[in-house]
Amino acid sequence: MFVKVNTAALVGVSGYPVSVEVDVQRGMPSFNIVGLADMTIKEACQRIRPAVKNSGYPFPMDKVTVNLVPADRPKVGSHFDLPVAIGIILLGEIAAGADEIGFFGELSLDGRINPVQGILPLVMAMREKGIRKVVVPKANADEAAILEDMTVLPAETLEQVAEHVMGIIEIEPYVREQCTDRQDSGLDYAQVRGQENAKRAMMIAAAGNHGILMMGEPGCGKTMMARRLPSILPPLTYEEQLEITGIYSVAGLMSREEGIIRERPFRAPHHTITVAGLVGGGSRPRPGELSLAHRGVLFLDELGEFRPAAIDSMRQPVEEGVIRLKRNYGEVTFPSQVMVVIASNPCKCGNLWSTKRICTCTAGQINSYKRKIMGPFADRVDIHLKMQPADTGEFGDAGITGREGFGMSSCEMREMVVSCRELQRERYSGTGYMANGELDEKGISDYCRLEKSGERMMEEAYGKLGLTMRGCSRIIKVARTIADLEGSGSIREEHVAEALSYRLSGEFYGG
Amino acid sequence: MNEGVVTRDMAEYPPLLREIKNSPERLYYTGDISLLSRRCVAVVGSRTVTPYGRNVAESIGRKLGEHGITVVSGMARGIDSFAHKGALRAGGNTAAVFAGGTDVCYPAENRNLKAEIERKGVIVSEQPPGKVPEKYDFPLRNRIISGLCEMTIVVQARNRSGALITAELAEDQGRRLMAVPGNIDSEYNLGNNKIIREGVMPVVSIDDILHELGISYEKPDIVREKLSSTEYQVYELLRGRGEMSIDELCILMDKPPGYVNRILSVLEMKGLVFSEIGKIFLANR
Repeated sequence: MFVKVNTAALVGVSGYPVSVEVDVQRGMPSFNIVGLADMTIKEACQRIRPAVKNSGYPFPMDKVTVNLVPADRPKVGSHFDLPVAIGIILLGEIAAGADEIGFFGELSLDGRINPVQGILPLVMAMREKGIRKVVVPKANADEAAILEDMTVLPAETLEQVAEHVMGIIEIEPYVREQCTDRQDSGLDYAQVRGQENAKRAMMIAAAGNHGILMMGEPGCGKTMMARRLPSILPPLTYEEQLEITGIYSVAGLMSREEGIIRERPFRAPHHTITVAGLVGGGSRPRPGELSLAHRGVLFLDELGEFRPAAIDSMRQPVEEGVIRLKRNYGEVTFPSQVMVVIASNPCKCGNLWSTKRICTCTAGQINSYKRKIMGPFADRVDIHLKMQPADTGEFGDAGITGREGFGMSSCEMREMVVSCRELQRERYSGTGYMANGELDEKGISDYCRLEKSGERMMEEAYGKLGLTMRGCSRIIKVARTIADLEGSGSIREEHVAEALSYRLSGEFYGG
Repeated sequence: MNEGVVTRDMAEYPPLLREIKNSPERLYYTGDISLLSRRCVAVVGSRTVTPYGRNVAESIGRKLGEHGITVVSGMARGIDSFAHKGALRAGGNTAAVFAGGTDVCYPAENRNLKAEIERKGVIVSEQPPGKVPEKYDFPLRNRIISGLCEMTIVVQARNRSGALITAELAEDQGRRLMAVPGNIDSEYNLGNNKIIREGVMPVVSIDDILHELGISYEKPDIVREKLSSTEYQVYELLRGRGEMSIDELCILMDKPPGYVNRILSVLEMKGLVFSEIGKIFLANR
């Protein structure tokens, strides 16, 4: 006797379909699961036998073999309990339509179904296979129902599922309430007083998807600026929302109240974080901070305090937008398309640039701090911003209020960002680039034509300001975005001039 | 490299130094010792500085250098180094007085500066080559700095800075003393402001120094011609205030930061302003 049941397995943050084949042959009573199952699945034998019996169904007193197809890929997770149990119950039963349902769930010994992690990517794998109906633990139903074209059947007990499959009862499909979405963060640039220059830099960074490094003494508002960045980034598309929600689902960071994630993530890992914490790790890798910030903002506060190894580990993932982790059974990839926002003090004590407080660092300390911050990682960040505490000085608040172009709200800024991104999408369609920040040397020479005046300015800057070659390409990319914000096709002198101001200069931070 | 030693009875021995009470018996030197027989002015200050102090030290060094005056200092971090750098930019009329031997670079990070001073200026010390400076060598060295010069200028000094010792020595030796006033709410300027209160003549503008030294000069006004009208407007605003944040400039000009940044980049390339710590400073000329 042979039965086949649909389910899926997780690798990284995406799922792939798996068929559970259950077969029973005459012989010594035994129960084996094959197909590169890990410990949680092998242990399932001990859970499934009592769960089936306690639900009122017989367990075959013969040789039972379960095979997980494809058999050559390693599988983990307790969500295989339910499909295996259903397979065993269905042996010798007539169940029309069972092969059009995907099953997920962990069993208790009494037959109750417990929630599992990563339900969204698992259900998405079913959707890709063309299966439109899934049985999931009741506690996971809300998350699975994010996929609007899926019929989600919330299950509480094994008995209930078995009866549904055999056509005895009908489980009501789960319908999501629309208002259970994550709350708006409520952060807005309109709440920031002063810092007009920093806001402008933030908008340029968002418009061109450039990384940004903010440097300034403690308390000058670096974190405040960074936290509001998601509020001016373009809204996510539905597919992007699913992708991000899937990552959070796998990481076990979805709570019941939250449905699909509609806002761009903002992740601010503490500087004590390990390499594995950043890029993801473990023998069965789980996503790290870089992946949790996918399509959002990765905020690195006090970059100078991070471990050198941690800083180094971020370089490649940030550049390539994907993390590859090698394990003995193969490669796991996690997405990591993040916008990097770095904040740093100018020196270890933070007072180097203060006109009032005394910096207690030695020249050696300042140099080593600088080396750590301005290393190869920050060198790939396009916009470098010097910040001063917001002090409108003699002008007070009256200086800002009511002036055109001052005190913009996130909403106004976002509008400009979105139309600028639109322009870039059209220009780069079919090239693999998405935004100016992603341009490499070839992209720069293809798409960043400088007008004569702009070219002259760039040459002059190269000679007089001591720029490096990489520094030049950074400035050209930023100038491209500034030109795009104005809807200008060519990059003119004034665009280059403005881009030049978004770099660090001075005695300790040249280049 | 021109190395050697002069003793008190030799003609090359700096004339002003010979006058002081405990003038060194012999003076080891590397470079052009004749620089010390010209008019000399000492520029001293703390090792920790603000951009303001740094800017002033460099400007004074350069201005003095341009008028053929030898800038004497101690090549320490901060003000000393910037004064030397300013003088080197004007051609190299500068002398560094070491506390240890002339071949011992202290602080080590000033290697390149030392090499440049050796080439264009002169390094002197009363200690024989190879002597590593000890803590007590520095105050002794300071009497040579002030002793070599007709005037000592304190740029930026904290409350207990060694520069104040030099200032005191200069007065004891009957030399002239000036101090650059600074922000009264900054700890960095406590020392120089304090000696002004005690009666030391303040440097109200850099030209004051030349005036005190009896040097006539003419003020060139080339700036106006080099700039467009908006650029000149920004330049004038900065000249009135010395330093401003970009936000302040935006408000005064009633223009968005993008626009102001563009003008500032042009001015920076023309060498008229520099930006640091998120503020814009006028580069003194």
